[in-house]
Formats: sequence, structure tokens, C-alpha cells
Amino acid sequence: MSAPLLELEDISKYYGNIIALTDVTTSVNAGEVTCVLGDNGAGKSTFIKILSGVHQPTDGTVRMNGDEVTFAHPRQSLDAGIATVYQDLAMVPLMSVWRNFWMGAEPTKGRWPIQWIDTKKAKAIAKDELSKMGIDIRDTEQPVGTLSGGERQSVAIARAAYFGAKVLILDEPTSALGVKQSGVVLKYIKAARDRGLGVIFITHNPHHAYPVGDRFMILNRGRSMGNFAKDELSRDELVRMMAGGAELDQLTHELEDD
Amino acid sequence: MSHDVGLMYGGNLVTDAAASLPVDGTTGSAANGDDERLAYRSIFQRLFIRPEVGAVIGAIGVWTFFWAVSGTFGTAGGSWGWIDIVASSLGIMAVAVSVLMIGGEFDLSSGAMTGAMAMLTVFIVKETGELGGLGLPMSVSLLLGLAVALGIGWLNGTMVERTGQPSFIITLATFFSLKGLKLGLANRFVGQIQVASTEEASDYDFWRPIFAGEWERNTHQFEARDFFYTSLPLLGFTILVLAVAELWFNRRSTPNPAGMIQFLVGLAVGVAGVGLMHGTDGTGGNVLSAAVIAVGVLVGLHGYCQWRFEPLTDRGTLQLDSTCRNRLLIGFGLIVVGGGIAMAIDSSSDAQFVFPFTVQGIRAIVSVGLMVAGLGLLATVSQAALSINAATKFVATAALAAGVLLVAAVVFLDSESAKFRASLFTILLAVALIVFAWGLVVSRFEERRFVDRDADRSGYIMMIIGLLSILVGIAFRLLFVTEAELLAGVPPTKTSVRVLWFLAFTSVMVWMLARTKFGGWTFAVGGNKEAARQVGVPAARTKTQLFMIVSFAAWLVGVLVAFRINSIQANTGDGKEFEYIIAAVVGGCLLTGGYGSAAGGAIGAMIMAMPLIGISAARWNTDWRFLFLGVILLVAVVSNRYLRLKAEALRR
Repeated sequence: MSAPLLELEDISKYYGNIIALTDVTTSVNAGEVTCVLGDNGAGKSTFIKILSGVHQPTDGTVRMNGDEVTFAHPRQSLDAGIATVYQDLAMVPLMSVWRNFWMGAEPTKGRWPIQWIDTKKAKAIAKDELSKMGIDIRDTEQPVGTLSGGERQSVAIARAAYFGAKVLILDEPTSALGVKQSGVVLKYIKAARDRGLGVIFITHNPHHAYPVGDRFMILNRGRSMGNFAKDELSRDELVRMMAGGAELDQLTHELEDD
Repeated sequence: MSHDVGLMYGGNLVTDAAASLPVDGTTGSAANGDDERLAYRSIFQRLFIRPEVGAVIGAIGVWTFFWAVSGTFGTAGGSWGWIDIVASSLGIMAVAVSVLMIGGEFDLSSGAMTGAMAMLTVFIVKETGELGGLGLPMSVSLLLGLAVALGIGWLNGTMVERTGQPSFIITLATFFSLKGLKLGLANRFVGQIQVASTEEASDYDFWRPIFAGEWERNTHQFEARDFFYTSLPLLGFTILVLAVAELWFNRRSTPNPAGMIQFLVGLAVGVAGVGLMHGTDGTGGNVLSAAVIAVGVLVGLHGYCQWRFEPLTDRGTLQLDSTCRNRLLIGFGLIVVGGGIAMAIDSSSDAQFVFPFTVQGIRAIVSVGLMVAGLGLLATVSQAALSINAATKFVATAALAAGVLLVAAVVFLDSESAKFRASLFTILLAVALIVFAWGLVVSRFEERRFVDRDADRSGYIMMIIGLLSILVGIAFRLLFVTEAELLAGVPPTKTSVRVLWFLAFTSVMVWMLARTKFGGWTFAVGGNKEAARQVGVPAARTKTQLFMIVSFAAWLVGVLVAFRINSIQANTGDGKEFEYIIAAVVGGCLLTGGYGSAAGGAIGAMIMAMPLIGISAARWNTDWRFLFLGVILLVAVVSNRYLRLKAEALRR
């Protein structure tokens, strides 16, 4: 088997004397979903920031296709094909879907200085790309602010995929969503995976992670609790690990006694 | 145990998501697009989503107010008065400041910059006096001035970006620096705080027509003027009505040629009617020609709809509840009372009633208010009828048309042969006719309840053509005189090339915001700067360029000022920056950025400029205008917010 698309080995990050992350190892292959699970404060945000080039790891190596890489700046990470879809989604709510889809890379007609956006092409491609993700927006003119949370995620994912992302990092895409909408987003994750992207799915919810994940890495207080392939782990074990096992038993016990 | 807790939390979801994987054509309902997001919005709902709608309504209101309270506001002289204020300073800056505000920033130095640029332009070309100036050609002065202006804009933008401080503070610093520089340098070099005229420049004669070319209305006689003045707006209105029809009704799958013939016949009759009217005195006094036009409009509109839209099969029966009937009665009552008051009070009286109102002003306010309220009540009935059935719609709109006809009669009886009021009479007649015709077709054709992009596109294009046609028609009236007017001794009025600069700048900005990358980025950095940056929009560069647009506008305005007046005070433009901001906000821009329009800023500037002329035309003390501006700002902010919330509610 060839080298994974993206591989992290023994990554650590200290902010002064605060240890945010220690010895984290995981990998993602093209066409696979790696889930990074962790409760609040487990180090998920630091993990994302290292991959997206906002922070540099204090220790450890990042490899893409087997070659060691460093991301000193978000731009470098983007250029390497790592696209991050943040929780706040990087969208302008009052602007239309197609404008958001193309924002920063609009296709133009005409020559400088008289250049204008090729709206017809832009809208057609936006619509087409969204339908490839399984979302059929009849009216790409509608403002993004009127879309549901799941649809916004899909626009962000479709955009990342269209602009050549190889690795997609999704930061808690389901955390602010209702049950149904979360299901929709999980389908988009599958769709992105089926298009050959490597997906890193960051979440605190094992029930969202398990059905779509091929690989699971659990973070707890900045430490990796293990890096498992799907067949090494059942859903119950995942839930247990995630919830801190015995702690949850205790909690359930207390709650049910009331 | 933990297993159960977990399933209670997410069990359903997992089965849902897992069951419908993998993704194919049949996705879940939320992703299907067939949901509330695509609920059909009627044309008025769609138009009300535009940010500048409030400003347009406000401008019409303010115009009507001053037109009613003064004798000269509506004339060509009065119109050019406020148009020139818009064109020569307020408008261009308001548009630029609106664009900057959409980008999420302010520029408090913009006012002082206009004065600084005017002074600089003059200073470079002037030679009189010891150390009085540089004595260079005007071309050099223009280029240097432009470079300095862009430099200041760049500095503003770069400082805001580099320091991360609010632009409010940074540009306040620029404002005071510029003010100090202006005063200090003017004192140092010229010996007094005044910079004299620009005429000494060697190439002044070349640049003068470009920046200060003037158009004397009384020397441009054009006898066919009133033909264009009546026919172009009529044509424009016709196209507007047909545009609304395109947006409103359901298109036939195959057009009906009989309808097209009927449309052409109606059109021909209408044109013949206009020709007939033009053959008389052109003011609408001729009953026969009005009747011919009315028939033409009814036949033509009905034919057009017959040609292009699905007819309605079930029209229903008349259903007006008691509330509606009472409203109709009260509405007609208000119009009659308002008209009676207008008739009863001597309209030529200039007597002061209660300071600052004249008897004439009170009369205008009370009678116009009552009549408008009456029409409003009638309109609510036709609004209510929209949701009942076709027959009721027809009766309710016919009642509204009758109300407008009543108002038209009042205007006609009250007009005392003043030509402009006579044309208002014509307009009201036309409105009554259109309302009636609209009631007729609405009750006979099928309303569209789904999105049809093609129909929408042709509707919008027709709307723009119609509006342009109306404006060009009005321009004929404002630009030319007729022999009869000259004989009657119409006061001389002139306008200047500044209006063209304003129109050109506004058009470029509107196009830029709507169609270019940079325009999109402007909305993006104003709406969510971090998001824009994350996806690769050069946010800092965009903002800096926005500041440079404002400083370019300040340079342009400064040059226009330098060519317009003979002496420039060192404090020219200081304090105007707030007027620009008011104009932008009145025009629908959001103070927090990301929302607004350039055209809105231009219309906001018109609302600001009208009181300047209107208050003096009404012979009030011009200091009242500040009160007026304050009230306008407050009303605009509240109503724009209301409109926006309404618009957003409609979108959901």
C-alpha cells in the first residue's frame, strides 16, 4: 500500500507551558474518512490549526503522500490541497449562494481593466457542483443566510472540492445542527469521500462519526487515546471511549436514580 | 447502560443517515430543493428586498412635499437647483461613501478632502502674488491632484489595515490633519484663507468645458419638446406596466396571435390618441384625446395579456365584507373633504399662519394628507381583495381608480393653469386608467405562482427600459424651452456637465458592485471579513482600494468645485462627511457593512439636496434644513430596518 494522503506522526503543540497536544498520530487516505473525536478542550481546535497552517507544531512531522511538509501559513496549506471548512463556515450570509461558492476566485469575462463576472457560467457551475454533492438548489441567487445549516455545510464542502482540495477538514460540521440536518451533512461527507477526497471529520459525537468513519482517533486532554480502523472498534466501544467509559456509567447511574 | 443513553441521543439519526447512503438522485427532502425555500414571492415582495426601495419612496415623498408647499420647486429652475447640488458635490461623494460603507468602513476625511483637492488644484495653476502658487498648466495640476488624492486614500486604507483600529478613528485623524494643512498652507502661501480663480492656467480653456461646461436652457429652443416630454414617459409607463405583467402573470405555452393583433390595435389607438392630444395644447385638457388614449390602453393591455398569458377560468363572485365596504366609504369621504379644503382656501395667499408654516403650506399638507390617506384606505381594500377572487379584485381596483380620478379632478380644478399642475392632472388620469386596466387584467388572467427566470429576466429588462424612457422624457422638459415659454418670460436656468459626471460615476459604481469581482469582494469584506479572507479574498487590498475610490471621488468633486466657483475657502467641504454618511444610510446602506447599494446612495443624496432648494422655494429660513435632515435620517434608519426585516422574513 502506498503512503497515505496525509499522515501525522507524534505531533505535539505547546503554548508556553500549556500542553495542548502531545504525540498525536493519525492518517487519512484518499477516499476515506478519518474521524477525530474529542470532548471540549481535548485539543481538536489545535489539531485543525496545525493542519490548516494557522499554527506550527512544536514537535512531530506532517507528511503528504509520504513527503514531509511544513505549513507556515494558511495559504501554503490551501495550496497543498488541504481545505478547512470551519464551524462558522467562512460564508457571507447576505450574499447569494453562487457568489459565496465562487468568492475570491470568480470566473471573469473581458480584458483588464474592463472585466466582469461571467455570471451565467458561475451560476451554472455552482448549481452543477452542488447537485454533484446531492443538493439541488434551484435558485442559486438566494442568500446563503436563508439556507439551513446543513445546506450551508454542503455549499462549503462543494466549494472546497471544486477548487481542488485533496484533504477536507470539517470542524464540528454537525454540532450546531438538528438531528435531520446532521444526517444530511453526513451524506455530504460520504459524497465527498466517494469523489476521492480524504476527509478529516472533527466531532464530539460518536454516533455521527461511526457510520461515516473509516478510521477513528480519539483525543482526550491533548492526548491520543488511540488510532483505530473501523474493523478494530465497535460503535459501543467508540461511544464508551469517547464518553470516558466508567465516568459515563457513573453518570447514567446517577441520572437514572433521580 | 451507556449504550441506551447514546441511542436516545443519536440512534434515530444514525439509522436515517445510514439507510439512505450512498448518495444518489433520491436524496432526502431537505436536500431536494422542493421545500419552503422556493415559496413563490410576488413581484412587489421581490422589489421590496432591494436596499434602495425605502430611499426611492422617500425621495418621491420629499419631492411631492416640496412640490406641494412651494411654487417654484417643481419648475425647471427648481429641479436643476437640487440636481446640481447632487451632481456637484453630494451625489458623487454619497455614492463613493456608500460603496465604502458596504465594504464595512467609514471615511471621515472625505469632506475635508474635497476642499483640499479643490485648493490643491487651484494652488498648482495659480501664479498671482508672491509665492501665490506654482503657475503650472491645468493638466499637470489635475494629474498631481489625482495622485495626491489616491495617495491619501491609500494611506487611510493602509493605516486602517495595519493598525487594526476602527476606520472611524483613523480617518478622523486624517480629517484633522487635512484641515490643519489646508488652513496652515493657505495662510503661509497666500496670506489669506482664500484661493482665487483658476482662469490663469494656460490650458484652462481646454479643461473648462469638460469640468464646467454649461447648458443654458433658455438658449435651447425645441418646439417638439412637449411631444417627447409627453410621449416618452407615456411609452415608459406602458413598458413598465407590461413589465409588471410579465412578472405577474403565468405565460402561455403557445402565444395567442389574436391577442397580439388586439395589442397592436390598442397600441395604434393609443398612439393616435397621443397624436390627437399633441395636436391640441398638449396638457391633457382635451377630453376626446384622453378618451381615445384610455380605450387604446385598455384594448392594448388586454391584448398583450391575451397574447402572452394564460386566461383565468374561474372568476368567482363579488365578496366584500363590511370592513372593506366601510373603508371604501371612509376613503372616498377623506378624498372629498381633502379636496374641499384645497378648494376652500385661497392658494395664492402667502400669509404666515403659524411660524414657520404659511397658510399655503398648511393647506397643502392637510389636503394632500387627507387625500393620500383616502387613497391609502382604498388601496388597502384592493390589497385585501387580492386574496379573495377575481371579481372582487376587479371591483376593488375599480374603486381605487375612481378615487385617483377624484383626486385628479381636484388637482385640475385647483391648478389655475399652472402648467406643471396640469401635467400632474395628466399623470393622475393616467394612474387612474392604469389602475383600472390593471384591475381588469388581474381579474381575467392567471397569476403566476412559481419562479420563471426567463419571464423575470424580460420583465426586469423591460422595467429598466421603461424607467429610462420616463427619465429621458423628463430630461427633454428640463433641457429645452418652447417659444411659448420664452414669450411668457420663463426665468433663465442652466445646468452643467457635472450632472454627466455624477451619472457616469454612479453608473460605474453600480455596475462594479453588481458585476465585477471587486464588487463581490466589497460585499464580502463588509459582510464577513474573516470569511472572505479564509477563502482567498485579498481583504486588506480590497479595503484599501475602497478608500482610494472615496479619495478619487473627493478629487473629482474638488476639481468640479475648483472650476465652479471663483474663490475657495480653506474650510470648504469640512463637515460634509456626515452628510455623505447620512445619504448612504438613507439610501439603505447598513452601518455595519455588507449590505446596501450605490444607487441608493445617489437617491439618498437627492433626498438630502431637495430640502436645500425646497425650503428656500417655500420661503422658509434655510436653517430649518438641519432639522429636516435629522428627521429624515431617523425616519430612514427606522423604515429601512423595518423594510429589511420584512424582506428577510419574506425570504425565509
